[in-house]
Amino acid sequence: MAWPGDRPARPRRPSDSITDLAALLAYVARGDEDAFATVYDRTSATVFGLVRRVLRDPAQSQEVTQEVMLDLWRTASRFDPGRATAMGWITMLAHRRAVDRVRSQQAAARREHGRPADGPDYDVVAEEVESHLDAERVRRCLDSLTELQRESVTLAYYSGYTYREVASLLGVAVGTVKTRMRDGLIRLRDCLGEQ
Amino acid sequence: MNRPWRSDPHTLAGAYALDALAEADQISFERHLTGCEACRQETDGLREAAGRLAAATAVAPPPALRAAVLAEAARTRQSVPPAGRARRSPTDRRITMMLPPRLAVAVAGFAMLLALAVGALTVNTAHRLGLADARGNQIAAVLSAPDATMMRAHASDGATATVVMSHAEHTLVLTTAALPALPEGRAYEVWVMGAGWAHPAGLLPAPHNGMTAPIVVPALGAGDRIGLTVEPSSGSAHPTGPPVIMLNLPA
Repeated sequence: MAWPGDRPARPRRPSDSITDLAALLAYVARGDEDAFATVYDRTSATVFGLVRRVLRDPAQSQEVTQEVMLDLWRTASRFDPGRATAMGWITMLAHRRAVDRVRSQQAAARREHGRPADGPDYDVVAEEVESHLDAERVRRCLDSLTELQRESVTLAYYSGYTYREVASLLGVAVGTVKTRMRDGLIRLRDCLGEQ
Repeated sequence: MNRPWRSDPHTLAGAYALDALAEADQISFERHLTGCEACRQETDGLREAAGRLAAATAVAPPPALRAAVLAEAARTRQSVPPAGRARRSPTDRRITMMLPPRLAVAVAGFAMLLALAVGALTVNTAHRLGLADARGNQIAAVLSAPDATMMRAHASDGATATVVMSHAEHTLVLTTAALPALPEGRAYEVWVMGAGWAHPAGLLPAPHNGMTAPIVVPALGAGDRIGLTVEPSSGSAHPTGPPVIMLNLPA
């Protein structure tokens, strides 16, 4: 058994590990406004970018981003590190808010425009993205899905469609879409896990 | 009515993780999740994968939003943690605790820790005699240091972590009580952590009467933290899961 006494000098790694964000959330849960500001700085691009991708409207996206950040502030004590990473939890808050908004307010208008473009707007992706590498990896992994898996996953995630809507947009059976969403996410998870 | 998810609920896990269920389906599926731990774990994993998709769309918000959000937060009351947060399976129970800074040591508390440590040591001595001696000396050095400080953290489900730390010795002694039991092949691993790094500091021994024998963690630096994660019982070189306990040491 390796006791700590003989450990070598500590390696110093970049300070943006997920572990650290989880620790920050614990401070936020105790009302630490500085920790909240740091969490905002570390996650606002991810949150805003995702919300804007789903909503497409910049003004509404700011509004929803603010709601998400206040959700985070209010409910940080509910973050359960046993069930999600800190970033996973935050993107979940953001995605749910964005999808709720798009379904409640824009559904009718959006459907008039027909089927949106597939996948994320790669061109729109910010230059100031914190982690280009992470974005690159996600794109590579998305490319490794079958076309139907990728379309099912991205229409739901990036455009906020339900699986029934995705089925009708793609002209395939509802059961097929459900399966492709699950298969696609499993493949995505496995691809992203290889790091 | 024979809804498709009734025959095989697992097939909805992907759609759920993508927030792609209409409200009625979502409510039904969540009801199903509460009774199906395997489904919930799979769903958590798929949701995590889905969340990673957000990395590909990141774009900085307008700078003015930051001040607006921070000001609004300062005016907004936080919700109290839900009392029943412990609705978890025995195999997936996690705890987060934070030590309050600089809790002055009480002599009575000290004696209690010693009794606790020695008691647990005694139980374990039979099969770890060699280690116990060396560790016993280290433990004694910490406990007898003039600046020794004891800190204890309590978690909502009754688990506690107790630390006696000596700044002069750059060393602490850690014991735990009532940590959730882990399945076969898993163990709690101790880490010394800082901003963005984590260094392994040994595995917690199996508990006896709910308590773990003291772990000695030397070579601490100012501002270090102690973390605990669940790892394979052979130990990991780096934490593979989120910390179940974080202890902030006084600077």
